[in-house]
Amino acid sequence: MSATAASAPRRRDTGTVRAIETTLLVIVGVILAVATVNDVGRQVQGNHRLIADLRTWRHYTGHDYRNISIDSETLGLDSQREILCGNTSPGAPGVRTQICLAIWGPTVNGVRTVHAGWYLPPHVEDVRAQRYGCFGSGLQGMCAR
Amino acid sequence: MSVAAQSERGVAHVRSERWVPALATLLALALVAAAVEVVLDGAAGLSPLIPKSPQIAGWLQGAGERLGYRVFLIALLVSSCAYVGLIVLAGRSRLAGADAGAERRYAGGVISKRWAIALVAALQLIVFAGPILISTDVFSYIAYARMAVEHGLNPYTHGPIAIHHDPIYRYVGRDWDRVATAYGPLYTLLSYPLAPLGVVGALWGMKLEALLASAGTLALTWRCARARGLDPVLAILVVGANPLYVLYALGGAHNDLIMMLAMMAAVSLMVIGTPSRRREAGAAMWVVAGALTKATVAVLLPFMILSKRSLAPILGAAAAVALGALIGYAAFGIHGIDVVAALNRDAAFVSSDSFATEIAHLLGKPGVFPVDHDLLKAALVLIVVHLLWRTWRGYDWVAASGWALLAISVTSTWLLAWYILWPLPLAVVTRDRRLLIATLCVQGLFIIHQTSPLLAPVQ
Repeated sequence: MSATAASAPRRRDTGTVRAIETTLLVIVGVILAVATVNDVGRQVQGNHRLIADLRTWRHYTGHDYRNISIDSETLGLDSQREILCGNTSPGAPGVRTQICLAIWGPTVNGVRTVHAGWYLPPHVEDVRAQRYGCFGSGLQGMCAR
Repeated sequence: MSVAAQSERGVAHVRSERWVPALATLLALALVAAAVEVVLDGAAGLSPLIPKSPQIAGWLQGAGERLGYRVFLIALLVSSCAYVGLIVLAGRSRLAGADAGAERRYAGGVISKRWAIALVAALQLIVFAGPILISTDVFSYIAYARMAVEHGLNPYTHGPIAIHHDPIYRYVGRDWDRVATAYGPLYTLLSYPLAPLGVVGALWGMKLEALLASAGTLALTWRCARARGLDPVLAILVVGANPLYVLYALGGAHNDLIMMLAMMAAVSLMVIGTPSRRREAGAAMWVVAGALTKATVAVLLPFMILSKRSLAPILGAAAAVALGALIGYAAFGIHGIDVVAALNRDAAFVSSDSFATEIAHLLGKPGVFPVDHDLLKAALVLIVVHLLWRTWRGYDWVAASGWALLAISVTSTWLLAWYILWPLPLAVVTRDRRLLIATLCVQGLFIIHQTSPLLAPVQ
């Protein structure tokens, strides 16, 4: 058999492999694209929720502050329940007594429901031992005092 | 077809192409304007996109406003669109060049050699002149160097918190201050001379290293593309004008650029000039040198060895590994050469930008579970085995290496913008255009994933 005749089946094989590879690549590409678009939608939805949370904190406290920390992990990463902490008087973030609000539930008229909250002394992290003046319900065991 | 008809078609083609230089210039201006905007606004400081840093771009202050997500993302999207447009034009130019003599066309045609080099150089220099963008990694690099040189500590056994009294410590990312270095001993030793220069001096040193590595990578990419009969102008534009390359990799002075330089040095030894055992051994040594900077590039080695089927690259790699291990052990002890431990540790990290996380969310899961890490590793092994089989059957080893690097980044649970740049220089020096398209698509998806603050800004 000549070299040309021998290489013909091999070229056909390579062509088939290439076609299979390309098909798989397209499928993987579509899955990645769908996952990306879904995740962007998920993030946008999350951002809308955070916008409502910030508006709730400002409405509840009567302070139109910009530097408010948002904690989406303490009450469960996917729980859609957030804790927002901010100063009770003007100043750099965390240098004044802070008020923290636990917020969850549906957004109604651009705000969500404050279910509980507590205060924190200046310059401390939001940990159980530092919380005082707790109010509200649904967060048993979250406050030391 | 008659000569006259061919000539008429040529004239019509040239007339229809008259708008191309104007459009190319417009797109180039958009790329430059976006980079300038990011750098000037970044220099204004107090931005969530600019890490806390010593003042190195103070002379640019006052020209821009605080860099917010909105401006940055618009600049990123504008530069991405301009980049894609430019590549399409350069690709058209190449196709037209194939009719009329490729070398002549891309050397003085619609997008000329000088024009492309000037654009790429301008983009690199603009970002070089500005502040550190997006990432705190460069401060970790400096911290590891200062730990060893200034404080006598082993950066492979301590995190930067061990030098919390050092002026660099306040700039290190909080997530990394307890993490020992994951970079290779060659890179750590390369960074030693910068440690005594102080924080600002070391930072400029790191930026210069990144710029030189980028220039070297681009020069080698150019030479490799030309040696393989591909358009070097298109190659240099695809890599050097890439927004992720410019804003993220160079903007953050990432050592991935040094790894990519070593990678392209290896490829150039294999594809340029007359093949010889010496060049093959040298190429394998460059791959090992790259892996002693950042381990990922080691994936090139089996493809290179398999394609050559000779002893030279194996011997070259073995000699380089032995030398590197000796130096690494002498400088840092056993921890300095325990690459597997570093890779295992990093493989456990999860970032919200990784495709693994996105797919987990798509499947209704809150995130990546430990079993997913194993599934992803299994998928990666399958892909690499398939690529090895293809290389054995005659597939281009450079393309196979590019696919492997792309697969590593896509299956990684810890994905950062500069990771999806790894396959790019390889994609432009191979004839399998699927690799380039796939790499750019993955980059496009990464960019799209960044855009949620633009769609719903949290203020």
